[in-house]
This record gives sequence, C-alpha cells and structure tokens, in this order.
Amino acid sequence: MRSESVCLLNEGVQVRSERFGLLFYDYRGPRLYFLPTKDLIKDHFFNGKHTVSNLIEYICAKHREWPCLMVKKWLNHALDMLEGKGLIYEQSVC
Amino acid sequence: MSNQYVEMGLMAPVNVTWEVTYACNLSCIHCVSDSGRKKPGELTTEQCLQVIDTMSAMKVFQFNIGGGEPFMREDFPDLMDYSHEKGIVTCISTNGTLIDDEVAGRLAHKLVYMQVSLDGATPASNDAIRGKGSFRKALNALEFLSKRDIEVSVNTVLTKLSFPELDALVDLAASFGAKLRISRFRPSGRGKKNWSQLNVSREQMLSFSDWLSRHMVVSTGDSFFSVSHEDRRSLGLNMCGASKLTCCVSPLGEVYPCAFLQEREFLAGKLPEESFAEIWENSPIFHSFRDLEIKSCESCVRFDFCHGGCPAIAYHTQRRLGLPDPECLANCVSVKSLAAVGA
Repeated sequence: MRSESVCLLNEGVQVRSERFGLLFYDYRGPRLYFLPTKDLIKDHFFNGKHTVSNLIEYICAKHREWPCLMVKKWLNHALDMLEGKGLIYEQSVC
Repeated sequence: MSNQYVEMGLMAPVNVTWEVTYACNLSCIHCVSDSGRKKPGELTTEQCLQVIDTMSAMKVFQFNIGGGEPFMREDFPDLMDYSHEKGIVTCISTNGTLIDDEVAGRLAHKLVYMQVSLDGATPASNDAIRGKGSFRKALNALEFLSKRDIEVSVNTVLTKLSFPELDALVDLAASFGAKLRISRFRPSGRGKKNWSQLNVSREQMLSFSDWLSRHMVVSTGDSFFSVSHEDRRSLGLNMCGASKLTCCVSPLGEVYPCAFLQEREFLAGKLPEESFAEIWENSPIFHSFRDLEIKSCESCVRFDFCHGGCPAIAYHTQRRLGLPDPECLANCVSVKSLAAVGA
C-alpha cells in the first residue's frame, strides 16, 4: 500500500468495528473475516476520506511509544492482507 | 471461523433470522414454525421498517428471511427494497408458489439470495411433505429466478423421505444453475408431531455425513456441524451461533436466540417496544446461551469440531439445555462400530 492512497471496500464487502478490531463480511463468500486491530483502525477508515499516511499519523500520535516505522510496517501488512483476500482495494489520491 | 473473537462477544449479530409472517399457503408436515394463518399482532409495515432501521444502525450484515411464506405479506417486496437501500443482504426462504416473472423481476438485486424449498426430486416425494402441486410451482419459481440471474439455491430438509433422493436433488438444482442446500430437521412446530416418522435413522445420518464429504459444493447453512467430517471444517461454523452470531425475530417481533428455540422460556425481548441493542447486549437469555457449555462433550475427540452440537435439537428431544446433540458423529460412529461387530 502506498502512503498517499485511500483504501476502499470491494463490491459486496461490508465492515464494522468490533471489540477485537474489524469484522469484514463478504457476500460473495467466504462470508466473514476477523482482523484483530483493537481500536487502531476504525471501520470508517474504509470510506475513502483518510489516506494510509493519515492513519499512520493517527496511530503514531495515539501511541507515541511505538516507533512509526513499526506502525507503518504493521499497517501495510494488515492492508496488504485485506487486499489479498479481495476485501479492499487501493486508490491513489495523487 | 475465529471462535476466539466470537467468544469475546460481537457488538451485533452478523445475521438475523427474521420470520416475517406466520401466514403460509402450504401446510408442510415438517414445518418448524407450525405456520398457516397470519396471527394477530404481527408487525405492521411501519414496525418492520423500524426493525430494518434498527438492524442497519447496528450494522447487521444479513437478514435470513423466513416465515411462514414471506411473499404472503403484500408489503414484503417493499420491505426487501428498504433493506437493500440500507445495504443489508437478504437471503429469502420461500416455497416458491407465489413467484412469477414479475415478482422475480422485482427481486433481481445484487443483495438478494433466494432459497426455494423442495423436499424431494419428484412430485410424489416432494408433495407428500409439502402438499399437492407444490413441486411444479417450486420448479416454476426456480425457472423465473434463474432467468433473472438471481442467485438461488434449492433448500431441502433432511428427512427419511428426502434422504434417498439427495443425488437427484443435486442434479435437479444444477439444472436451474442452483446449488443444493440441506437443512436439518428439527422437532419443533409441526416437526415435533412428525419427528419419529420423518427423522433419519442414525445409520442414515452416518451415511449422510459421508455423502456430505463427497459433495463439498452442497451447503448446509451450518446445520450439520455436529456430523460433518474434518474436510468440511473450513466451510462454516464449528459451534452453535445462537446469541453469538445470530438470533431470531418472530413475526410478532419477539426476539429469540435462534429460530428453532421460539419457546416462551427463551424469549429475550420484543420489538419494537424494546431496544434491540439492549436485548443483544444485556438479555440474560442471550448471556446464558453465550455461556452455555456442554460439559459432557468436553472430553470427546470431536469437541473442537462441534462444541456439543445444536442446543435446539438437544432441548427439543431432552427438554433441557446443556445436553449433547443426540445426533453427533461420535454417537453415529459408535453405532457403526456396533453394527460392524454384529456383522
């Protein structure tokens, strides 16, 4: 995922925030995917209004004890996984 | 299925079984809700719209619509349209008798799944359960739906009568571009009266379990996790989802842990008078299901596959929760072993 991109849900995919993190539902099946992100990524991140770098900044500001490089790596890994499963796609804002 | 996250408690159901009316134009002998006539107090259109708003606000992803026959409600297509506007997927179970080309056209939406019930691959076997002429009408519905490219499956309840025709039902469904989905027969409603006559024997259940493994494209709506072999594990749940992933709203707005436990003692609340969020979060009935442990199953080698099976079957056959599903594969296997020794 590039930093200056937004992440959008693929057609047929919905997401909601849960206590453990994010719960994705894909009506094309398999239906459910659980992503244990706690409150680091909210479901509204996928409405396309915030870029990946916005989210990195938000997490780094919230958890100053975490190295930003580590946050970036973790987030990219999580988003790549979601993209790999066909749940989201990346759209450049540039 | 990630049980650890489900067991942390979801903030809303993933799907809600919504039985929208008791009215039905058929009188199937295995009907779990004893449907027939519309009952006084069924939710009005306005109340149904409120239910949809509530579920949408909680981000419920899917309605599993049943009844009765949903299309007996004149406002049913409008209710489905409103659900789709809110982004809720609707999986509609129907006997198909009221579906014509016009209705199929109205249903042609990407968020619609249809399940047309057939309990036999011939008029003789199907109509013995569902009533005279129902086979032909169901096939007509399948034709109308498939012409509109609506995703459709044939839903069959596993009984002594349907069991010998499963292969033929797979082929019949495929001829309409549909998959076969098999549901478990449960002893509630009229099914209670006809349980001993219709329920499969243990030998048949064991044979069915093997058949399922040979037919991975056949879906089961997680009805049979207690008898599914390991190879189907990735296809669905390995535990009862009642009060954890799903719940049921009756035509009167009553909220229950699942569609097969619509008994007074399991009534968790009533819509629209009570808040669904409050019921889901705080109902003692729902909490008791979330905490339900089938202790006597915990040492079983199959515990990770079924967690004790379906509490509804256990309840209806033994009148108590917390007991093992009487039709689990471990029991079936032990029956098979005895038969082998006898042979």
